[in-house]
Amino acid sequence: MEPIYCTVLPGSPDELGVPPEADKTKHKQSLAIEELLSTERGYLNMIQLCAVDIRNRLKQKQLPDFDLEGLFANIDDVIDVSSKLLYQLELMDTENPQYLQALSDTFLSMRSELENTYKEYCASYSNILILEARYREREELDKAIQETITSTAPHTNATNLSFFLVMPVQRIARYQLLLQTILKNTEPSHPAYRSLQATVDSTVALNSNINEYKRLKEVADKYNKPENLTLMDKIYRINTHSIAKKTARLSQMLKHEAGFLPKTEDKEFDALEEYFLALERGVADLQDNVSTFVKHFEEFLSRRPHECELDIETEVAFRNYKELSAILHKHIYPKYMHRLKSLVLQPLCSLQELFACPQNMIRKRLHKLLDFEKIEEKRRETGSITYEEQEAANTYQAINTLLLTEMPKFNGMATQLLIRAMETFIFIQRDFAADVNHIASGYLQHLPHNKLPDYTFWSWAEGMFLKEAKSLQQISQTFEAELNPHFILPLTPSSQRRLSELTKRYKSEQIYQASSDIKGGRDMDLSLSRGELVAVIQEMDTKGDKRRWLVEAGGNRGYVPASRINPYHPTGQTASPSPAIVDEASKRHSVVVVSPAIESPVLPSLQVFAAYDFSARSIHEVSLRAGELVTVLEHHDRQGNPQWTLVEVQGQKGYVPSNYLMVVPVPGISASSRKT
Amino acid sequence: MSKAAVKISSDLLSNPLCEQDPQFLKSMTALDTAMRRMDAFNQEKVNQIQKTVIEPLKKFSSVFPSLNMAVKRREQTLQDYKRLQSKVEKYEEKEKTGPTMVKLHQAREELRPVREDFEAKNKQLLEEMPKFYHSRIDYFQPSFEALIRAQVAYFTEMHKIFGELTEQIDQPGLTDEQRERDNEARLSELKALSIVADD
Repeated sequence: MEPIYCTVLPGSPDELGVPPEADKTKHKQSLAIEELLSTERGYLNMIQLCAVDIRNRLKQKQLPDFDLEGLFANIDDVIDVSSKLLYQLELMDTENPQYLQALSDTFLSMRSELENTYKEYCASYSNILILEARYREREELDKAIQETITSTAPHTNATNLSFFLVMPVQRIARYQLLLQTILKNTEPSHPAYRSLQATVDSTVALNSNINEYKRLKEVADKYNKPENLTLMDKIYRINTHSIAKKTARLSQMLKHEAGFLPKTEDKEFDALEEYFLALERGVADLQDNVSTFVKHFEEFLSRRPHECELDIETEVAFRNYKELSAILHKHIYPKYMHRLKSLVLQPLCSLQELFACPQNMIRKRLHKLLDFEKIEEKRRETGSITYEEQEAANTYQAINTLLLTEMPKFNGMATQLLIRAMETFIFIQRDFAADVNHIASGYLQHLPHNKLPDYTFWSWAEGMFLKEAKSLQQISQTFEAELNPHFILPLTPSSQRRLSELTKRYKSEQIYQASSDIKGGRDMDLSLSRGELVAVIQEMDTKGDKRRWLVEAGGNRGYVPASRINPYHPTGQTASPSPAIVDEASKRHSVVVVSPAIESPVLPSLQVFAAYDFSARSIHEVSLRAGELVTVLEHHDRQGNPQWTLVEVQGQKGYVPSNYLMVVPVPGISASSRKT
Repeated sequence: MSKAAVKISSDLLSNPLCEQDPQFLKSMTALDTAMRRMDAFNQEKVNQIQKTVIEPLKKFSSVFPSLNMAVKRREQTLQDYKRLQSKVEKYEEKEKTGPTMVKLHQAREELRPVREDFEAKNKQLLEEMPKFYHSRIDYFQPSFEALIRAQVAYFTEMHKIFGELTEQIDQPGLTDEQRERDNEARLSELKALSIVADD
């Protein structure tokens, strides 16, 4: 294709009949287009160099405390957008008459991508600068950066990173200028003129949006972080200015509350705020409750009864239970817990944390609103306000706008998360139930009574236990049974006398012996010593208590505990059967009630000794010394009273009390003792 | 634990959000109903286990105090027995004089009933204790069965109830990792808002 310009002479029409002025414009237009394209190429190159080479070098150096991500922000996205733009722009040849249309279309279609990407980058740019400045203060970092730059891009004569990093900021503004130049040099009659105009307008709008966004972000960053100030910090902050500010706000607020001033109502905002607060409450509660639930469950898990040794491994139901519990504890419960924690609790906690900043902003908005009202008042009255006041008014409006735009999004997304958390909870529960059921049913098959329907099973189980309860009770009673022996304690003479007294007036079944010392505690209680004989008058006391019996002991009457006295059976009288008092215990256990068995009198292979000392009190009696060997002559006295025995001792004859004598088996011959 | 679960749903139900969003209200009501039903089943399970495991356990252990007492008494009797036995032996070793013989005789008299008493107690314990110990196997068998059965019953119900609920929710088929990533994505979206500080 022949170049358009070479044959044209100034002043002469060219072949197309276009005036030379038009040519110049066209020329400028082409130049502008070329500039757009070539600068874009150069720009892309530069930022790629920065983002890829320089960044990698810096990464390799592994510098300590170096925030690579913060420094480079979303430059990768910028690179992507720019490459795409360039690609589109290069698709068509610039000489093509359709080119301008294509150019406009490209820009218009990429408008939102451009805006979003550059918006982020520009808003982060101030942070980038701050970071860079901070790093340059540190000598070794500074040196490293310099070194990297000079080694990767020596042709640029750059000395710092911001040389590269500022480029996107500059570029986005440049588009506007470049496009405007093209537009300027385009005939209004050009078919693509309108599109081009639209493109320029959109670029202008784009830039203003980016600026606005940046401003709002700065305001947001300033105010959204809740400040955790100590009391000291707060005190330091107090100065006349801050006091004035806060006092003004306070008075404004009081005026509202008192009704002097109408509150600026912003229904839209209030609705948003209300929803926000409800949401916050909901998330907080849910997070709390789920945490509590998890805690309880973990406590449940810590109890492991199935791990205790019970020594009944052979029993099938127990074995099944043990295995089932082990599996549940080892696999199923932990899985459930893990799912619950990671899919429900964790997101809820993170979500809850996110509420703090917006809440703070809402608070700040209120403060700034109070300021704003005052300023507006002043503006109405005096018509002019100071620079600071204007700034403050702007701040309020910035915050307000920001909140009004972003809160709906926040509310919506947070609600979504909340709902999803609940939904997740629901099917985690279902899966858990399915898992447990699956395993437990398996084990159920092994159980003996698994075929029984539920209702039958429970009645059977309860019935079993009621039955068992009875036998358990019986077993208890077995062990409780008093197995007190009814053995006889040897009688002292005084006891013997007591015995004779009592037997005169009471039946032998009523004679009891104290098995241990009894100290009477209450009034009407008797005190007895061990071995003392009493006669039972009544087997309960006046109140009907069967454990206290009324007894007589040597002329005294009183109560003694029934458990401490035993029926007295002196041997030689009768081979009496166990007294009726002996309880079922003895019936059950063939315990020998120790009544010494009676055997037929044994003849002189026994020796009779005197058991105690005895002083003769009459000429018919003879004195005894304990341990003396005596010879029994007669077992009764002249009147036939068996309580006296005629003996010969030491050559003397006389009577001695029968119970003072003892029959001792001579070694070699066994016989029971016998009192004569 | 079940009460905590009910609290989850009831708190949400009482949240003002329910007034604003009827869909929310519907879902929360359904969840609340489910939780309450599960609580009722849980209560039933607890009752069943109470009757078939806890109470039998208690009754079984109530035998032990009596058993211990019997053991103690045997011990006491044993002491008496030993004491008297040594007394008899002491007398047997002494010279066989009259008084000694008398005392020996008396001691033997005292000893015999005590010995028999001890032997009786001993025998009883020796017989009964192993029986009792052995009986626990059959005694507790229904308890273990009950435990397993109660679990199955409860979790069957739980599966049914929550299964019904999940049918009303879409997207039940995601894996856990997918869900986690989804949550992360949403959280990042939220964090991208200016009003939320990025840390």
